[in-house]
Amino acid sequence: MKCDWVRQNILFYVYNELEDDARYEVEQHLGRCPECATELKATRKFHATLSETVAEPAPNLLASSRMRLQEALETTQPGGFWQRLMFEPGAWLRQIRMAPALAAAIFIVGFGGGIGATYNFLSARGGNAAVTGSVDTGSGNLPLTQPVESSIAGIRSVTQEPGSNQVSIKYDTVLTQEAQGSLNDQRIQQLLLFAARNNYNSGVRMDSVDLLTQAPDDTRVREALMYALQNDTNPGVRLKALDGLSSFVRQDARVRDGVLRALISDTNSGVRMQALRLVEPMKTDSNVRSVLTRLSQTDQNVSIRSQARTMLAQMPEMD
Amino acid sequence: MPADSYAVAIPVGEISRPKRAAQDSGNQNPTLYWNMRGSLAAQSNRIDDTSLIREAQQGNRAAFEVLVRHYDQPVLRLALHLTGSESDAQDVYQEAFLKAYKNLGSFRFECSFYTWIYRIVTNLCLDHLRKRNVRKEEAPVAVDASGEEYSRLEQFADARSGANPERDLMRRELGRKIGAALTRLTPRERMVFELKHYHGLKLRTVGEMLNTTEETAKNTLFRATQKLRSALAEMR
Repeated sequence: MKCDWVRQNILFYVYNELEDDARYEVEQHLGRCPECATELKATRKFHATLSETVAEPAPNLLASSRMRLQEALETTQPGGFWQRLMFEPGAWLRQIRMAPALAAAIFIVGFGGGIGATYNFLSARGGNAAVTGSVDTGSGNLPLTQPVESSIAGIRSVTQEPGSNQVSIKYDTVLTQEAQGSLNDQRIQQLLLFAARNNYNSGVRMDSVDLLTQAPDDTRVREALMYALQNDTNPGVRLKALDGLSSFVRQDARVRDGVLRALISDTNSGVRMQALRLVEPMKTDSNVRSVLTRLSQTDQNVSIRSQARTMLAQMPEMD
Repeated sequence: MPADSYAVAIPVGEISRPKRAAQDSGNQNPTLYWNMRGSLAAQSNRIDDTSLIREAQQGNRAAFEVLVRHYDQPVLRLALHLTGSESDAQDVYQEAFLKAYKNLGSFRFECSFYTWIYRIVTNLCLDHLRKRNVRKEEAPVAVDASGEEYSRLEQFADARSGANPERDLMRRELGRKIGAALTRLTPRERMVFELKHYHGLKLRTVGEMLNTTEETAKNTLFRATQKLRSALAEMR
């Protein structure tokens, strides 16, 4: 019985696949039983015989396989996150099952968002949605005394003052707020500057630029007007910016260059005509003169070409 | 026998050809193979692999290519042994790594990358063996890339031919016999034997790769060796 068991396990003994106790038993038995020892010898010989014919792939084969694979990889897209989601919707479910916290978070955010939207809608209908307060809608330490739950976009950090029960929480809000104040109010100016550059609504940009033109002495305002002149997609806003900058063409070389740039490259001929009118008093300036010369010769717009020519003709001869 | 192409630590970011000092050591004892994969080296390699896999999952192809180089030699050897043809082995190699690349997103570190890639390769090889069994093309004679016939196991002997032509001849003959004996195994027996004997893997790992238990792998190996022994005894 023992010999049968040992013979069945000799192979695994040779392949080093026996547990320690089984191994010990086999070794003990082999020391006592010459027949099983012969079997061990035969198994080892068989093992060695098979090992004699071991081959490695030729280096050339490996090299060419690698090259072939590299070529194929160049035209293959790796399976990434999105592919997994598209082709393996089960992965989604597993992911959620594996991460109950994530599932709970998604649920809470969705639920909170829904309640928040309803709350905003209802309070807007009540005609009393405006909250006068700090205008900074970004992250920060907003001095809001009573943060409305639905308005919290996300909590950035929570820290406790050591040794006290004071907690400071940084959060982002998405509250609609209203700011009121005079044009000289810095807060209002800041908002106008922001609106002039960033608002997606061109009407709002137009109003902001219009208001800013009333205080163009401020260098930041001038910057915003220059920015609007150069980058705004709406020609009306660009025209307003030009108006605001008109009084600075003479004294500020940067403004003058900006207006010249608009004159050369603006896509709207109205804006270009206005720019041309603005630089007229400065036509003795060498930059202005060279632009006018170029326009009078090569510009595609007939009226700008003739206007530039007229302006140049009226110019006193230079020494 | 190959030596350890895995126990190589490659810092991530430094995409270079891994040094394989052990690879050329000419170690010919398969049982040493596993032992050489010292657990420490294997562990550090696993850490490297983890970051390589993550990079590759984010679309870094160079990281994937480094991963390929960690594993491709044993993969090609397995494919060559089992298919018996250089061009088939290349096809399996190519298909296995492309499959791995395309499905890398679904690799979730539930098993080692080593097991994962071997699972892909073994499946492809098993398919190949089954198809061949259906076609009854079981001759140990294979065809190389240039279309020339050769005995798979003879060429192995060639690789180590020394100054003794008589010994070479005997080795060639033995190779032919072993090749013929191996064809008597079922694809699964063949695979278990290959992974255990020539790749030195633990039967637990073999079971994992073939989606079965260690016990089943053990029984399969036992059957395979019994068959091989009797086949070789008949031929003597």
